Amino acid sequence: MEPTQDFTSFLIGRPVIVKLNSGVDYRGILACLDGYMNIALEQTEEYVNGQLKNKYGDTFIRGNNVLYISTAKGV
Amino acid sequence: MSAPNSSGSAAAPAVAASIHQLPLVGAGAGAGAGAGAGAGAGNTTATLFKKLIDSCIGSKIWVVMKSEKEFTGTLKYFDDYVNMVLEDVTEFENTPEGRKTTKLEQILLNGNNICMVTPF
Repeated sequence: MEPTQDFTSFLIGRPVIVKLNSGVDYRGILACLDGYMNIALEQTEEYVNGQLKNKYGDTFIRGNNVLYISTAKGV
Repeated sequence: MSAPNSSGSAAAPAVAASIHQLPLVGAGAGAGAGAGAGAGAGNTTATLFKKLIDSCIGSKIWVVMKSEKEFTGTLKYFDDYVNMVLEDVTEFENTPEGRKTTKLEQILLNGNNICMVTPF
């Protein structure tokens, strides 16, 4: 678990793209992340099929749905 | 049986070392043989699998998911769940409409849906 933790602590406070297994993307500022890949995002934008569908303030994403967490260049 | 036993203690580290040198296909066969011969030396199959992926760190790998998804990228880290940190990633998604690719700088890939990992 340790080395991947370096990356997660690096990501906190940065804009990220979270992709779920369903294919839905969430873009926002990463507030919190744990070992289950549970995620708290701020200023969240929900993209379905690449199109913006919704905006949320704070969101919680349960880790079992997460495919990957990626760095985002500009959000 | 007597031949492997006579070189048993010496053979086990040799198997572990060869894992890093052999191509993955050969290493896979070595892992199978090493599991029996190396058990006494503390080389469980689990550690051999770990070494196999460990030898890929810093090199480009190809990850095939359970679904119609694939990733290629440079492996930076992985953990016991085979969660991975990948760099300069290309995501491939096979859809009925065709192949969709996405470029990503750096990702933490959930190990839960990984099916296969191989050097690219």
